[in-house]
Order: sequence, then C-alpha cells, then structure tokens
Amino acid sequence: MGVLSEHVIEEIRGLPAQFPDIRSAVMPALDLAQEHVGYLSPEAMSEVAELLKLDPGYVQGVATFYTLFHTEPVGKHRMYLCTNISCKLRGADDLLAHAMQSVGVGGQSEVSADGLFSVEAVECLGACEYAPMMRLDHSYHYDLTAEKIDALIAERKNVLPIHGEVPAKPAEGPPAAPAKPARKRAAAPRKKKADA
Amino acid sequence: MPELRGTTKGPVLTRWFGTDNLHTLDVYEKLGGYGAMRKALTTMNPDQIVQEVKDSGLRGRGGADFSTGVKWSLMPKESALPMHLVVNADESEPGSAKDRYLMENSPHMLLEGIGIAAFAIRSHQAWIYIRGEYDGPYERLVTAIGEMKKKGYIGPKPFGADWPLDVRIFRGHGAYICGEEGALLESLEGKRAQPRAWKPPYPAQKGVWNRPTTVNNVETISTVPWIIENGGAAYAKLGTEKSHGTRMFTVSGHVQRPGNYEMEIGKTYRDLIEGLAGGALPGHTIKAWWPGGSSSPVMPGDLLDTTTDLDGVKNVANLKSHPQPPLNMGGRAFATMGGSGGVIVMDESFCMVKAAHRLLQFYAHESCGKCTPCRVGGNWAVRAYERILSGEGGTEDLGILDRIQDGLQAGRCLCGLGDAAGWVIASTLTHYRSEYEEHALHNVCSAEMAAVNATSPLAGRTNA
Ligand SMILES: Cc1cc2nc3c(=O)[nH]c(=O)nc-3n(C[C@H](O)[C@H](O)[C@H](O)COP(=O)(O)O)c2cc1C
Ligand code: SF4
Ligand code: FES
Repeated sequence: MGVLSEHVIEEIRGLPAQFPDIRSAVMPALDLAQEHVGYLSPEAMSEVAELLKLDPGYVQGVATFYTLFHTEPVGKHRMYLCTNISCKLRGADDLLAHAMQSVGVGGQSEVSADGLFSVEAVECLGACEYAPMMRLDHSYHYDLTAEKIDALIAERKNVLPIHGEVPAKPAEGPPAAPAKPARKRAAAPRKKKADA
Repeated sequence: MPELRGTTKGPVLTRWFGTDNLHTLDVYEKLGGYGAMRKALTTMNPDQIVQEVKDSGLRGRGGADFSTGVKWSLMPKESALPMHLVVNADESEPGSAKDRYLMENSPHMLLEGIGIAAFAIRSHQAWIYIRGEYDGPYERLVTAIGEMKKKGYIGPKPFGADWPLDVRIFRGHGAYICGEEGALLESLEGKRAQPRAWKPPYPAQKGVWNRPTTVNNVETISTVPWIIENGGAAYAKLGTEKSHGTRMFTVSGHVQRPGNYEMEIGKTYRDLIEGLAGGALPGHTIKAWWPGGSSSPVMPGDLLDTTTDLDGVKNVANLKSHPQPPLNMGGRAFATMGGSGGVIVMDESFCMVKAAHRLLQFYAHESCGKCTPCRVGGNWAVRAYERILSGEGGTEDLGILDRIQDGLQAGRCLCGLGDAAGWVIASTLTHYRSEYEEHALHNVCSAEMAAVNATSPLAGRTNA
C-alpha cells in the first residue's frame, strides 16, 4: 500500500497527456502528492517517480530545488512571512519573531506542538505595496501587524474539527517539536539544499 | 479583493482599472476589450502585427528592455515543430508587484495580448508560467480562460479565424531564478531551474521542448492590445524619443502611498516617488532608492530628478557629484537601470549595510549554483556582512566585498543574478561607504542612532 490514494494516482496518471514531454508533469505531480500527504515524504516521491516512470533521484532533485516543496513535515497551516527588503523596511523582522513566538516554534523547520502551524521566512512574494505581508496557506494577508497575525492564528486554533476530520498532526514523520521561546534574532530564510 | 493601491484610469494599461468586475469577460468586453484581438485575427496578418509592434517601439518590461517587435521577428515563419509563446509571470524581483496587479485586476487584457502575440509569431499554443505563490491571479486566469473558451476566443476558430488557439498555465514552485528566461524554460520542461548558456541556437530556434519559443513578460504582452487597437504610431507618441509608451512602477518601502503606478516614460523618479506615491513619511527624508527592483544599482536620495527614460536612467552623468560605482553591464559603465520598475524607497532611519546584507542573503539563497563566482561569492559576501554587522569586521572585509563585487560582474557569471548581486555590493559600497566604515571600523550604526531618537509613524518598524 502506497501513501497516495487512488484518486491522486489517477490524477497524476492523467498529467503527462497535458505536456509534450512527460518530465514536465513532475512538478504538478509532486504538487498533488504534497497536497495529499502534507509534505513530500520519501515514499511519496518514489511513488511519483514510479507513476511517471522517472528516476527517483531525478524526482528528488527537482523537489529539493524549489522552496514550495517541503521534504520535511510542515504544519497544517503554513505561514510564509516575506522578510525581503520592502517588507523588512516596514517591520517584517519583528513580525516574524512574533509569529514564531505566538505559535511556539523556535526555528523554521519546526512544527508547533499541536501540529497546526509552521512559520517560514521567505523572499519577496510580489505584493510589496502591501508590506509587510505574508502568505498563509493559499492566501495573501496584507498590512500585517502583530494583532492581525494573532487573530489569524486564533481563528485557525478555534476551528472545531469538521466531521470525520482528526485535528491536524502531520500524517507521519518525526513527532512535532516542543514549543520553545522564539529566538531573539530573526532567522534568515530557509536554505535551499544546494546540490541534491 | 484588497483595496486597489495604484493607478486607475491611466493612459494605457490601467485605463479601465477601478471599474467593477473588470476581471470578468463581460465587463472587459463592454469597455472595448477583445476589439484588438478581433481586429488582429480578422483583418491583419502576422507580419503586419509584428510591424505594428516594432513601430510602437515597445521594449520588454521584464527587465532587459529588448525590442518586442524585433524579438517576435526572430521567430521562424515556418517550422516543422510547434512553436510557443511563453509568458513570464514569475515576478519575483524584490520590490516588483506590477505583474500581479495587472493579472489580478485585468486578466483578460493579458489573455487578449496573448491571443494577438501568439498569432503574430504563428504559435497555436501559449503557456503562462506563473509563480506558485500567486494563488489569486492564478484563479483569475483559470476563470478567464474558461470564459474565453465558452465564447470560442480560445478554441479551434477564434473570431472565425482559421487559426486554433490553446492557452495553458504552468505553476512555479518558489525559485527566483525561474524568472530568468532559460531557467524558466528548464522549469517548464520539469527540470531544476538553471539558466541555459545561450549561444546560438537561441529560444527563437530552440526554446522549450526544443521548439521555437518567444518569452515575454506579463506587462509587455498586456500592452499589445492597446497598440493593435490604436496603432504603433500612437504608442510611439507617448514617452521619449527612444523609450516609448508608459510603464508600470511598483513603489514600496518608506513612502506615504505605496502602490502600482502607471506613468509615461520620460517623467522623473521624483514625479513618481514624491508625486504619485506621496513622498517620504512625515518627518523623514529619502536616503536611497532602487529604480527597478533590488537588482538595479541603488541611487542616492538627492538624485530623484533622474529620468525614467530606459536609456537615460543608465547615463553615468546622472551621478554628477557622486563617485561613480564600478558598475559594468555588457562591458559598459552605467549608473543604474530601469529594470523591472520596482521602485524601493528607503529613508534615513534604515541602515544601508543591513539593507545590503539582506539583499545579499537573497541572492546567495536564490543562486542556482551553476557557476562558481555566484554560488561561492554570494555566501562569501554574506559572511563578510555578518562580520561587519556584528562588530567583528575590519578594513579587510571591505576589501573582500570589493573583490567579490568585481568577481560577480562583467559576464563572469552565466546569468544576470550574479551581476545583480555584484551591483548591490558595488553601488551601496560606493554611495554609502561611510556607513560601511562606521560598522567595520567603529562598530557604530548611525542610522540606528537616528531611528532611536525619532518617533516612527510605522508600527512595529525596526532596524534589526
Ligand atoms: C535573475 C533573473 C530574474 C528574472 N526574473 C524575471 C521575472 O520575474 N519576470 C520577467 O518577466 N522577466 C524576468 N527576467 C528577465 C527574463 O530573463 C526575460 O528577459 C524576460 O522575461 C523577457 O521578456 P520581455 O522581453 O517581455 O521583457 C529575469 C532575468 C534574470 C537574469
Ligand atoms: S549567475 Fe548564479 S543564478 Fe545565474 S546561472 Fe550562475 S549560479 Fe545560477
Ligand atoms: S518584499 Fe515583501 S512582498 Fe515584496
């Protein structure tokens, strides 16, 4: 039994037909796998490789190149705070420290103890006129303040589990990191693995 | 949708902005939209369109200023393989948000431009490569493409013309380098995004999937419908003698009205920053500004009267009394460049060494690792900045930075990312040398001291 369910497998099988070359399907396929599993576990990546008849090393090489692919477990809700220049000029560093403290993570590779959040400092998100800003899951939030961040966190914490859905914990992988106080100095953006 | 921040009812691109539901096909078409595509497909041939765009003088708005009409004319007139138009919607240049503004508010303007451009280069399939974080604009485009298909504007016979058109979207996954044309095509082919060493064959002969390909920026293509509707000559009347038309600027940072502004080329950065964007925050003065994203060399605050003319802005005579940084573009000295139009404004309360450090972190992080000066130099520079900022630096670190900037520029790297990293160091080190020296030699930050004494109007603003 693999980690990808039948409908995801079907969708991935349908991808190559949309492109002149099967390789072009690798990113959309990884995207579907990541949406389904929560992150790109080694199993998820090798299943994608098998479905597309590509070398697993190749698929992993692509996954590790792009920052939106997570090869480690992440929170159910992912906060991507822009810390590049326009946002930094308007206070992004303080907001990053605040967000990390509010959800109780000490670093960018940590997931909050309840499995709900991870926080990542990212490069310019192309909404500099609304700085400071962040992407939370699939939406942008503008003119951020500490209060706005707290409200967004509270909203997500207070959601009652939808029928049948278990409150989020990453599907598998290492246990969530214990809450630590946020670091004093804002962390630099997460490093891309240079030569995978 | 959030509140619109920027020009509405501008001369070309934003002429209909601010109209309710402009993003829908109905509203766009009622205002006159799709008239240009209809005209192109039913009354013109591809060569006439290319000529019209050549006459307009339109130059690419993705940062390299290359003539759009000339680029299109490089495409073969006949090809055994399919040909592609690829729209660069990767917009990741720090300080640049104008492509998002255009796609979010007027997706049909881009799609109409795609219809015309694809026809002009004899392509039946266009791809939009959009950065993965742009969920909103992506949804807008998907919906808009659906509306077009319903009307038949995308399909086997758009406007009755015997010329099938297909438009597809490919989502990026977070990597600045995907904006570089060769890296973008690699990424579209499902590979790690690393720039290609372009020698012949060029993309027009052998681009994506080895097929003839033209890559254009979102703003470039969005301008095309206006040109076809009004004629190349009308567009050429706007702007200066050599840089025609209007362009979008994103103004961000320490200004009163950050936003995306459409302005006629040839006006000055003062018109933009102090006029449209409201100028410095109360009680502050503009210390520095970047004319075209973080990759354009920084300019001192007293040079706001610089022209936005694409050639004029590069003129070293603009620097007047300032020392000229050792900047090299294709073997030539230049002052700065219009780049992507992302204007970043910084006032006296922020430390230039810290700003430069942050930008070098960006370039080091986004280096694709293909060439040594860029892969190694960026990280090396970040470490020098860390030493300088932690009070452990010395004169030797300034020497190291100087050597690194030189090693990154002048064609020593495969793509412009390396040059840009070098330009950040060279331009900030020349114009703000005293700040570097205060940090490196005396462990003092005058900007921070000034900020402590001032009450800042921005909540949560720091100089960390
Ligand atoms: C590092 C780097 C990043 C770039 N990023 C973008 C981008 O995000 N969007 C864009 O349109 N062009 C970008 N460009 C320029 C493209 O390579 C290319 O010149 C442009 O898309 C061509 O379109 P145009 O002729 O319409 O300007 C970038 C170039 C470099 C070197
Ligand atoms: S200059 Fe940097 S980003 Fe460009 S190809 Fe070389 S290593 Fe890659
Ligand atoms: S710098 Fe933060 S969105 Fe551009």
